Amino acid sequence: MNKKLLKRNKLYDRLAHHVITIGGVVVILSVVAILVLIVRVSLPLFTPPTASPLAHTVTVDPHAVVIGLDDYQQNIFTITTHGLISVSSVDDGKKVASLDLGIERESSIIFTSRNGAEYSLLWDDGRLSVVKILFRPVFADDGTRMIEPVITDMTPHEVVTSPVKQAFFVTSSDEDAPGSVQVNLLRNNTVSIRRTTVTESLFGDSEEQEETYIIAAFFETISAMALSEDGLQLYAGTQGGTLLHWDISEVPVLVDTVPAFKQPVTALAMVFGSQSLAVGTADGSLTTWMGVRDSDASTTRKLRKIHILTPHNSAIIRIQPSHRDKSLLSRSETGALHLDHMTSERHLFSFDLDTVTLAALNDRGNGVVSLTKQGVALLTLHNPHPEVSFKTLFGKVWYENYDTPEYAWQSSSGSDDFEPKFSIIPLFFGTIKGTLYAMLFALPLAIFGAVYVSQFAPAHLQQIIKPTVEVMASVPSVVIGFLIALVLAPFIETHLVTLGLCFFMVPLCFLLFLFCWHIGQRFQLIRELKGGFEFLLVIPVILAGILLSYFLAPFVEQQFFAGDFSQYLFQNWGATYDQRNCIIIAFGLGFCVIPIIFSISEDSLSNVPHGLSHASLALGASRWQTVWRVVLPSASPGIFAGSMIGLGRAVGETMIILMATGNTPIMDWSIFNGMRTFAANIAVEIPEAPVDGTLYRVLFLCSVLLFCMTFIVNTGAELIRDRLRKKYARY
Amino acid sequence: MERHKDKVQLPLSLFPLLPNKKGTFMKSKYWREGEPFVWGSGAALALILLLTLCLLVVVFKNGMGVFWVGPLIHLEMKDGSALLGEIIQTSENKDGETCSQLKISNRDLYSLDFKWVFSRDIEFVSYPQDAVLVERLEYGNFIGFLSSVSLDNQKIQNQPAYAALHAGIAEMNRDMGQVDGVKSEIYHLNQKMEGFDHRLASLRYEGRENDREFTVIQHQQAEIQTKFEELVGHLETLQAAQHQNVALFTDVNGTAVTIPLTSIVRFYKPNKLSLMGKVSLYLQKTWELFFDDPRESNTEGGLFPAIFGTVMLIVVMAIFSFPLGVIAGVYLREYARDGFMVRLVRIAVNNLAGIPSIVYGIFGLAFFVYGIGSSIDQLFFPAQLPAPTFGTGGILWASLTLGLLTIPVVIVSTEEALGAIPGGLRESSYALGATKLQTLVRILIPMASPGIMTGFILAMARAAGEVAPLMITGVVKLAPSLPLDLEYPFFHLNRKFMHLGFHIYDIGFQSPNVEAAKPMVFVTTLLLLGIVIALTSTAIVMRNRMKKKFAVVD
Repeated sequence: MNKKLLKRNKLYDRLAHHVITIGGVVVILSVVAILVLIVRVSLPLFTPPTASPLAHTVTVDPHAVVIGLDDYQQNIFTITTHGLISVSSVDDGKKVASLDLGIERESSIIFTSRNGAEYSLLWDDGRLSVVKILFRPVFADDGTRMIEPVITDMTPHEVVTSPVKQAFFVTSSDEDAPGSVQVNLLRNNTVSIRRTTVTESLFGDSEEQEETYIIAAFFETISAMALSEDGLQLYAGTQGGTLLHWDISEVPVLVDTVPAFKQPVTALAMVFGSQSLAVGTADGSLTTWMGVRDSDASTTRKLRKIHILTPHNSAIIRIQPSHRDKSLLSRSETGALHLDHMTSERHLFSFDLDTVTLAALNDRGNGVVSLTKQGVALLTLHNPHPEVSFKTLFGKVWYENYDTPEYAWQSSSGSDDFEPKFSIIPLFFGTIKGTLYAMLFALPLAIFGAVYVSQFAPAHLQQIIKPTVEVMASVPSVVIGFLIALVLAPFIETHLVTLGLCFFMVPLCFLLFLFCWHIGQRFQLIRELKGGFEFLLVIPVILAGILLSYFLAPFVEQQFFAGDFSQYLFQNWGATYDQRNCIIIAFGLGFCVIPIIFSISEDSLSNVPHGLSHASLALGASRWQTVWRVVLPSASPGIFAGSMIGLGRAVGETMIILMATGNTPIMDWSIFNGMRTFAANIAVEIPEAPVDGTLYRVLFLCSVLLFCMTFIVNTGAELIRDRLRKKYARY
Repeated sequence: MERHKDKVQLPLSLFPLLPNKKGTFMKSKYWREGEPFVWGSGAALALILLLTLCLLVVVFKNGMGVFWVGPLIHLEMKDGSALLGEIIQTSENKDGETCSQLKISNRDLYSLDFKWVFSRDIEFVSYPQDAVLVERLEYGNFIGFLSSVSLDNQKIQNQPAYAALHAGIAEMNRDMGQVDGVKSEIYHLNQKMEGFDHRLASLRYEGRENDREFTVIQHQQAEIQTKFEELVGHLETLQAAQHQNVALFTDVNGTAVTIPLTSIVRFYKPNKLSLMGKVSLYLQKTWELFFDDPRESNTEGGLFPAIFGTVMLIVVMAIFSFPLGVIAGVYLREYARDGFMVRLVRIAVNNLAGIPSIVYGIFGLAFFVYGIGSSIDQLFFPAQLPAPTFGTGGILWASLTLGLLTIPVVIVSTEEALGAIPGGLRESSYALGATKLQTLVRILIPMASPGIMTGFILAMARAAGEVAPLMITGVVKLAPSLPLDLEYPFFHLNRKFMHLGFHIYDIGFQSPNVEAAKPMVFVTTLLLLGIVIALTSTAIVMRNRMKKKFAVVD
């Protein structure tokens, strides 16, 4: 023997061994890595937010009344008690821009409020200044970005009559109807409202109109006020703990008076979007309130406590809403600073700073600047998904504009101040609902079909039917989806009663046929028909049942359902009939899983050793008794496994659901409407989800859940099959 | 036989609700023996088969009939109006009235393609021999009557209009060659220009704007630009000349319609066509389906890009998934030591076959598109950023995603095929002194090849029918260019592509005129179903053969 050849062969063999081993292991590992990756993408949803201090050299006047930070975290601005506005660069601490409002005044600022980029500054002589501070990115020729501060003095013509305690100012953001609203809380506990509207006449000249209203003093001293972003709703809190709500869109109307607390209300603010009111009290509790209808019929909304956020140790003196989401920055008397998210009720941060006297969140919500004993502290936040918590994903949440806490999925909307609703429960419900109806339809058909083919049909028939079913399994789901949505759905819509009748008529015809067949046994001809072709004889019977129901349907509809079934459904049971509904889904998904359940069940039924059934038959059992008592119990783990695998397929099926349901995330067991499943939800929403955004990660979480659902089901099935294989290996 | 006689004596015992002598439900012998349940299970099988049959019949009937030319019917209505069109379906409404859906076409005139007519409103029915159906590039079909043809603004009078139209079209097709030549030249210039743009962008990125190459390219670009403008001018004059050739038609109510010959795809008189004519039209349209581009937002014309995209997707997928799947299968069956780990892996692999395709899709999006794709862009195509090259969905990523999805199928079938080979064969091979690799390559793989092939084919069938993962990894409704063409580097794996399955979803559910798109959806469905069933049937036949083969070896 050639030694060289032998050596070479050995070398190749060893090489191949390594290559194949490494290849195999890598393939398997990489396939398993899928779960790891999708979990990793969705995990940041649950990581706690972090804050890191940013080094800077900015020094500010310790008597500042307003402090702020731009979106790019490059500039800090302050307004001092004497009205000096100055902007300093974070990088080098240099002053970039300034404006002195108090140059001719001998007074100081006693109260500030903010609406968007506009700051209202109330002087102790009762006058009001309004400044707008904006930061604009400017691109230099070489492409570097600079942030340019723009400070505009927007102070209106002011008339002050009596001493003012607090003042709020809102400019209309509607360009077609310019105007402004000024709300003053006077020392004598009355509130004055001054609204100016600018109307433009046909000739282009504008005319300014002014209306002034006075709201009489409430019996308790008003301690805090808040004005909505559009300047139409006014809220106040009193020393006695009462919340007041006026509608000031026209003549002020007191809409609501709620004795809410035992302690004085110390701070009020509108949450972003001006739907909810954040309330801080003297004992440090922080809650949000919202107008809710008592019942479906009522049109008025009553303020109700909706969310309870993490309390402070002492009185809350300032609440600042984020202008990006529903977060709230709250500051207490003792100088503690908290950041909370309203919807998720998550306590995002307790900033570890020493005695904060002033603080602000920038508009992007990623930076906090505060004035402490030690000077200015600047913090960068990494807080990508504040709106998601375990509770918002899996629990009932009381969203804005909802009358009760609910499970809701609505990921996006046209407006910025929208409250995203990420409850996974309706999707879970939809998945279960679709799967359940599909299995109700598919399981009996597939299992009994498999029993027939494996036990009663002649062997050569098996060789035709099995491949047919396998071909059926290969029909792409997009084809099934298209057919059931565009062909079956309109058909069933017009023949709904026929379908319903089929459930009675087909079994009836079947029983009738059995009876006739039984009688027919007296005749030699029928008696000699060999078994094994029952299913062919049954086909005409089924068709007869269907035809019978088709002809009976108009009569039944006329007699029992007042001529129109879907109308009747709506009037009597309050159920709406959607064209794309669960009946359609049951057919479509059923069609898709029948072949799977059928094949696996058939395999396990055929694998039951013939000795068992022969013994049973020899003992005098009938063929059904043999199947029912002997074969089915032996094969039941396999049938169960098949059903599980079918279930897994139904849970994850995408195209059929996408095409044949309305994809509305409702929670309703009615078979006459649709649902939205995990899989369809991913397919619908992922193209619009910004990478690494909350929606993107929540969709990954959905796919993790889907993965887990199918993984558990499939692994269970696989283990059972494995055991079954071992059990029958000895035969 | 004895048993049967026994039963016949008590026919009433058929009904379990009637108590028999012993008194209780289900105690009668007939029910206890369970013969009705046998029939019931037969009924279940019958229902399954009926459902399958229904599906196939619906797809075949609707899909095959689309290209068959139906007669045009002329209806004079009782209110004096007239309609001309093809009857699509006839049905009865609740009050027992028959109404028919008429495809009246002429979307540009009537703004809808279909109309329902009640038979009670019809005064008179005829089948006009002269009615012409024109398939156009835009606005769908036109149905009406030909009145005259003008070529170069000259009305043709020396021959009948229909013949003149034929002649005109034939002549135009000759001219068309010229126009197409100019168009393809323009396309090439465009491609060249784009290539230069890319080169300039990368030079700029590297900061070599003062290089000689930079100015040379700019020079060349300017040259191309002038040439380009010249060609466009030429094309415009050519097209203007062609627009002088028009055919004048009138619709059924006498409204005159002018159709330029360039926008006519095909025209014929359906009521005058012989059987042969219809057959030849049917074949022509089928040819068009396979080899032409789609028109009218995919609802008409051909499916070539979609078919091409589907095939290429499967091929690229196969390149990635088949070798890896086979290697993993071989490893699991032949190399890995049987034990807890292998059992675990086997379960995991079987399990992966059952994971929803959308999960693979979302994984592909995160891993391939946003992970690997973005990194490739940053490493190799930084000049084009922020416009993504590989960092967006494309045929490569879609193929890889499908590859992952089909690997378990290949692994399982490879393993099963190897497992079916009797152990004695391996041992005899070793006994003859063969190494493990030799045994594998010379004995095992050839013997297992039918089984492995079955796995391949099943994987391909699955890939052809899968849509959900493609939707998020790069399939589009209309791709501007194929992923394979004559431009360097020939394979453009970053390009988006079209796919038959997505085509069904797109035109059936997202097109503005679903009713008009239905025939096309049925044709596409038929085609896709045909491909998948053909692949699956091949796989099944192969598997059965293999089973027989090894039955002998055993």
